[in-house]
Amino acid sequence: MTYQTKRGLRGLLAAGAIAVAATMPLKAQAETNYNLALLSDFSGPYADIMPILAGGREAVFTWWNETRGKELGVTLNYKNYETRYDAAQVASLWPGIKSELDPIAVVGLGGPDVAALSERLPDDKIPMFMATAAYGFAWQPDSWIFNPRPTYSHESAGFVNWMREQRGGDDPLKVAILASEASPAYVDMAKGLELYAEQHPEVIDLVEVIYTEVQPTDLTAQMRRVVRAGAEALIIQTNTSIVVAAKRGLQANGANIPIMMSSHNGLPASGSALGGLDQLEGDFEAYGMAIAADEDTPARQFYETLVAKYGLEAPWNVVTAMGVSQGLFVVSVIDHAIEENGAEGLTGEMVREALFTKPITTEETHGFLPSLTFTPEAPFPLEGLKVNVGTVKDGKITIEATGADIPDVQKW
Amino acid sequence: MVYFINDIITGALIGLLYSLVAMGFVVIYRASKVFNFAQGELVIIGGFIVWFTTMQAGLSLWLSIPLSLVLAGLVGYAIERLFLTKLIGESVFSMVMVTVGLLILLRGLVLLLFGPAVRPFPIIFPLRPLFLGDMLIPMNLLLGGIITIVAAVGLSWFFNRTRSGLRMTAVAEDHVVASSMGISVKASIAFAWVLGAILSTIGAMIFLSGKSLTFLASDIGFAALPVALFAGLESIGGLILAGVIIGIIQSLTTNYLDPLIGGSLGSVVPYIIMLAILLIRPTGLFGWRTIERV
Repeated sequence: MTYQTKRGLRGLLAAGAIAVAATMPLKAQAETNYNLALLSDFSGPYADIMPILAGGREAVFTWWNETRGKELGVTLNYKNYETRYDAAQVASLWPGIKSELDPIAVVGLGGPDVAALSERLPDDKIPMFMATAAYGFAWQPDSWIFNPRPTYSHESAGFVNWMREQRGGDDPLKVAILASEASPAYVDMAKGLELYAEQHPEVIDLVEVIYTEVQPTDLTAQMRRVVRAGAEALIIQTNTSIVVAAKRGLQANGANIPIMMSSHNGLPASGSALGGLDQLEGDFEAYGMAIAADEDTPARQFYETLVAKYGLEAPWNVVTAMGVSQGLFVVSVIDHAIEENGAEGLTGEMVREALFTKPITTEETHGFLPSLTFTPEAPFPLEGLKVNVGTVKDGKITIEATGADIPDVQKW
Repeated sequence: MVYFINDIITGALIGLLYSLVAMGFVVIYRASKVFNFAQGELVIIGGFIVWFTTMQAGLSLWLSIPLSLVLAGLVGYAIERLFLTKLIGESVFSMVMVTVGLLILLRGLVLLLFGPAVRPFPIIFPLRPLFLGDMLIPMNLLLGGIITIVAAVGLSWFFNRTRSGLRMTAVAEDHVVASSMGISVKASIAFAWVLGAILSTIGAMIFLSGKSLTFLASDIGFAALPVALFAGLESIGGLILAGVIIGIIQSLTTNYLDPLIGGSLGSVVPYIIMLAILLIRPTGLFGWRTIERV
């Protein structure tokens, strides 16, 4: 082939490409792609729940791309980054994530992500959205990290108030907390409720705060103290191993004090670690998110849609609910940002600003979350806070209370 | 007063559990002068073997316990053959570094083979505690304490009174000299690893009976470290006393000081004792004092 022929062929190909591009549908031409960085822990302490949580949030992005995204001409691309739930790992990955993806938002997992990125995200102008409850140490104004749920202490205070109402009478509810100094987040969970108990002795009589290891050797003696002090509830928001050890300690003492767990160490996870959900009969999980019970709720219906049409394979439980609610939180904010700024040229800063422009309604999150009104004063909504309570009845998880009020918890 | 005595007894029994895990450290150290940083991971491996034979394979405890101990011994043997046998005659430091690598490898293997889920561990010892009047003693710790004392007496006799045990001690002194005297260094070190893995598996059964199994349980290896250093890394009998002392101090701190300060001093106290011992008497209470002629 001569040089002239080659040149002619190249010209012909270029002309063909231009012609094909010109005849493409308008929508495909206008399609805009944005990237999301997903921080995940597939090999660290939360490796057991991560595949399910990841499945939940990814299914929501698929759903959004195929429904709302198609209408708007926007596709959300995402990539998981393995952090091992380690702040140092997150910090070292972050520059690479930025240069590779240039994300408009980060989808975070837990405390180490907050610790590693809270100082960097304001400079990089990228917001991070979490699935978990918030932390007292991150309760600062002008945050770039946002939680759809208030702090763990808000949630436990809401539960204590609800339980006291159920019990009746004017006496405060006698409560013990089991925590661990293995993580600042675990200590934070206890400190907030401690302050609330100090300021509201008419509501809570905090009999003891027990700090133990993440895999305790034996809690029989500690549980005996708690039983002797007449505790009516045990708050454990740390991990499943502590729930199991506390349960065994209570059983050894012939006592049955109801335990309140959170979402990440909730009834299914702790029940499975104990050998069966029936072992947690009468115990509770409480958090500001939909309870994954058998009842036919809007959240359950949306989950069924994700399973039927969008490839979700995770079972219906609290961890899946956490992943789905996080995904819905993220796409709702992005949706608001597109409404405000148009589909083109969206930045992380615009996404963050959209969070304050109007509330995310419970309908937008299909009942997974209550209506959320964010302000720049806190990384989580400060008003209209609610907690849902689930329990085990006849070996099944059932909804015990929906939308119980969370009291005003002061910053600690 | 009854509760105070009860806390002392429970503390002593927890200390004996630490002693049992520390025995794994000492057995390997006595045979090879190698400090095995992966001791906690051997506990996890042992735990997963017990879980697999009972909960997965569905074997009865009478069958699964001896089978698990045999399998754990084989794992210990395989570790020694694969990673340590080629380092005989090399510096002890390189062997110690291998155990650090082993720590990471075993954690990864557990994740790969068994997955990350938290699992219920079989109930090997009765859940119902022993009641002595107002005192309450957890059955797993009580029976575990008895097993630890029997194991310590047996191993002390083995190392001090039998030919094989004395050979292992000679190997620990110097690999080259032991070899030149016709002692099989490879066999001695392999036997120490088999023994270390079996002791770790027994420790896992006592520690995890009726509880949950995750790789977080490997932390018991670090909890046993102060006991091993307090006793002196060569003394098996000394582990019993060191374990009881550390266990009692930890229990009293957890039950009487922690509620006052609102923290977890009980978790830290064994390490404070360890640092104090290293400063005052680096060989531990019963460790061998080595005199070097220059």
